Amino acid sequence: MKFVLEFMEKHVRPLFLPGGWLHKLYPVYEAGDTFLFTPPDVTPGPPHVRDALDLKRYMITVCLALAPCILFGIFNAGYQYNTVNQVAEAGFLQHVTRGAWIVLPIIFVSYAVGGFWEVLFAVVRKHEINEGFLVTGMLFPLTLPPTIPLWQVALGISFGVVIGKEIFGGTGFNVLNPALTARCFLYFAYPAQISGDKVWTVLKDPAHVIEGFTGATALAVAKAAPAGVHILDSLRAAGFTWPRVFFGLEPGSIGETSAFCALLGAVVLILSGVGAWRTMAGGALGLAATMALVNRLPIADQLPAAALPFWYEMAMGGVAFGIIFMATDPVSSAATNAGKWIYGFLIGFLTIVIRLFNPAFTAGNMLAILFCNVLAPLIDHLVVQTHLAARRRHLRAFRHA
Amino acid sequence: MEKHWRIKRGADIRLAGLPDPAVRTAAPPARYHIFPNEAPGVRPRLNVRAGDRVRRGSPLVHDKLRPAFQWCSPAAGTVERIVLGPRRRLEQIVIAPDGTDEAESFGACAAAAVRGLGRDAVLEKLQRSGLLALLRQRPFSKLPDPAATPKSLFVNGMNTAPFQCDLAAAVRGAEPAFQAGLDALANLTPGPVHLCLPGGRADLPPALTQAKNARVHYFSGPHPAGNTSVHIHHIDAISPGDTVWTVRGADVVLIGELFLSGKLPTHRVVALGGPGVRPDACAHYRIRLGADLSALLAGRLAEGEQRVIGGDALAGTKLDPAGGLRLQDSAITVVPEGRERFLLGWMAPGFDRFSLSRLYPSTWLFRRKRWAHTTSLNGSPRAMVATGVYDRYVPMKIMTDYLIRAILAHDTDEAVQLGLLETDPEDFALPAFACLSKMDLMGIVRAGLEEVEREGL
Repeated sequence: MKFVLEFMEKHVRPLFLPGGWLHKLYPVYEAGDTFLFTPPDVTPGPPHVRDALDLKRYMITVCLALAPCILFGIFNAGYQYNTVNQVAEAGFLQHVTRGAWIVLPIIFVSYAVGGFWEVLFAVVRKHEINEGFLVTGMLFPLTLPPTIPLWQVALGISFGVVIGKEIFGGTGFNVLNPALTARCFLYFAYPAQISGDKVWTVLKDPAHVIEGFTGATALAVAKAAPAGVHILDSLRAAGFTWPRVFFGLEPGSIGETSAFCALLGAVVLILSGVGAWRTMAGGALGLAATMALVNRLPIADQLPAAALPFWYEMAMGGVAFGIIFMATDPVSSAATNAGKWIYGFLIGFLTIVIRLFNPAFTAGNMLAILFCNVLAPLIDHLVVQTHLAARRRHLRAFRHA
Repeated sequence: MEKHWRIKRGADIRLAGLPDPAVRTAAPPARYHIFPNEAPGVRPRLNVRAGDRVRRGSPLVHDKLRPAFQWCSPAAGTVERIVLGPRRRLEQIVIAPDGTDEAESFGACAAAAVRGLGRDAVLEKLQRSGLLALLRQRPFSKLPDPAATPKSLFVNGMNTAPFQCDLAAAVRGAEPAFQAGLDALANLTPGPVHLCLPGGRADLPPALTQAKNARVHYFSGPHPAGNTSVHIHHIDAISPGDTVWTVRGADVVLIGELFLSGKLPTHRVVALGGPGVRPDACAHYRIRLGADLSALLAGRLAEGEQRVIGGDALAGTKLDPAGGLRLQDSAITVVPEGRERFLLGWMAPGFDRFSLSRLYPSTWLFRRKRWAHTTSLNGSPRAMVATGVYDRYVPMKIMTDYLIRAILAHDTDEAVQLGLLETDPEDFALPAFACLSKMDLMGIVRAGLEEVEREGL
């Protein structure tokens, strides 16, 4: 590989240096160069030695943790298509190729359009291209239904990257999670495609679908469950058993249907120390505690979904994916350890509140996370104030000594 | 009453080339060097010119702001060169020895009488000999102000950073001098002298464990358990308005020798280690103060481009290998410069690369191994992304992320409340090591301390 390095140094690098005709695109060269080979920089001063970990490897680990969700999302999109459209003799291979045909363009558009903005800002601001986009560009398509028009993908990721992140200064400075900002924009701008009202399975010919197909997600069924019937019976009638919603072979957004795959990702994130386990634990606790409380309220007659056990709530919709991958975004989440517990708990709590007690939206996790992104600095402020009081006590002990 | 503090937070980076505690003798140097700027805040004015004849202990430079403080020649000979840097800043004075070793006398003192000398006499002698530069005043880690009364004095006898001088090695054979040094320092404060030693070590000499005129404390655990800020935080924390003086254990020996003999000490023990030193040469060396670094390094370095660091690899200062030993250097760490580039570093397994995070298999597999770190930055600087990483390496009641943010926002009030005054840039060397955004935490904290000092509390 040495000759590649020498070739780049000798023939490619000069084009991007001052005087070279590609100088304006230096951040692009820098990104490609340091992507291929670790940077040659040495420490300018103390500490003279540095840890082997950098942001590139850190962000790539998140993408690695997303792999189960991506792969299963591709399979599921194909599986739903083949089942609903009654494709004859469709096997595993057909599901995967069909799914790839549906999903890969969405991912490609997300990366291409988002990457364009990322590079544009890097060039204009003359800073290096930040690896955070690798994660944003992958998270965003996974929150979209397979039926999303590609122009909406392009519009959404543009909004997420530019308004959600770059106008604040780029990765590390954003207030909201850029991927969720992008989805939220589509959610309110084009509710027909993304809020769950329309069918989320790609249909070849709407006139010819499997008998009894409605395309409703588990959350939509729960929301619309008729009063007087137990919620679990309503779900079962629509074909949603707990294993099905947990493993995720159901209609829904590309990467979110399988809580199981999200949990696999959580294992990677927690073992590697990249994802904040406190946020995840707080989220699960908040969800379970709120649901256990709601279960005890005497409202199941009017609101059948209030009787749903919390393990259904955790497996349904995008909440597992959201808490594991979106809420743990270190930039937009709470930064203190105690704050992460509170922040996670609030997300779990708000998800249930939005899911159950509002008439408009079936899913609540995205809004809960965005709301808590906004609250995170306040949570941290309270934690820091508590810390300062503890510090004052610590110091006072020495003044009297 | 002895107390044993067990520090939990922190990490040892297990640098290769641990100095052997045996003390060897280094060659006599060809030249001697004095660096008047190594003590922070000194405005040096020259007393000599090139060609002047000086004796050991002759003042070469005094401080414009407080003329009592002066730098003295470490050997007898002639002033060979006076090196001026940018803006005619005095950088160093080079002395060519003449082999006579005549010495000025600062007045000898019987061992039993040192404790009773009184604060003024001790301060006067420390300033006149220049050894006051071995002490620091907290907050701000500056040269002690003789007008200030420290509430206590901390002697750091630990070496958790890679690498520092082993106090047991430095004190061996100089036990009376170490005790005399403690006695002299006890005059400086109405409060106690705290001597902090490594816990759980059976080989500490009684001169340390049973030191008189000092309270002995033991600290154990990973680095930075040996940092003075950690000791102060646990034993006698600084509130705004408090003053504490600090000194390193190996330097107490020099102070003691000054008082016992009345002359400027000649030798000190210096630890030499690191992956850039030949394995058989990693040891402690008895060497002349101010000696040429080549006296210590010649023939002992590994092949290739090396970085010579005065102090430890985390918080030390890069030295010119052609220059000399600074007064404060009791350890020299040598690390290879790491300009080599690796293919696909973000994805390669990296069995041979060390990380405190859990993202390299080496972290899981080789827990006991010593690592030949290089000076590679291992990445490029980025904005602060990961949170809660720094606090794992700061064993004090300090929220590092918020302290750093407060300093960056120039919110000095908030930074002081968050504990800035309790810290020194060296406390952020380990968090900076672990920082995956490759931020210059030490520089940020140094700038923050300067800003608070400039603006006043």
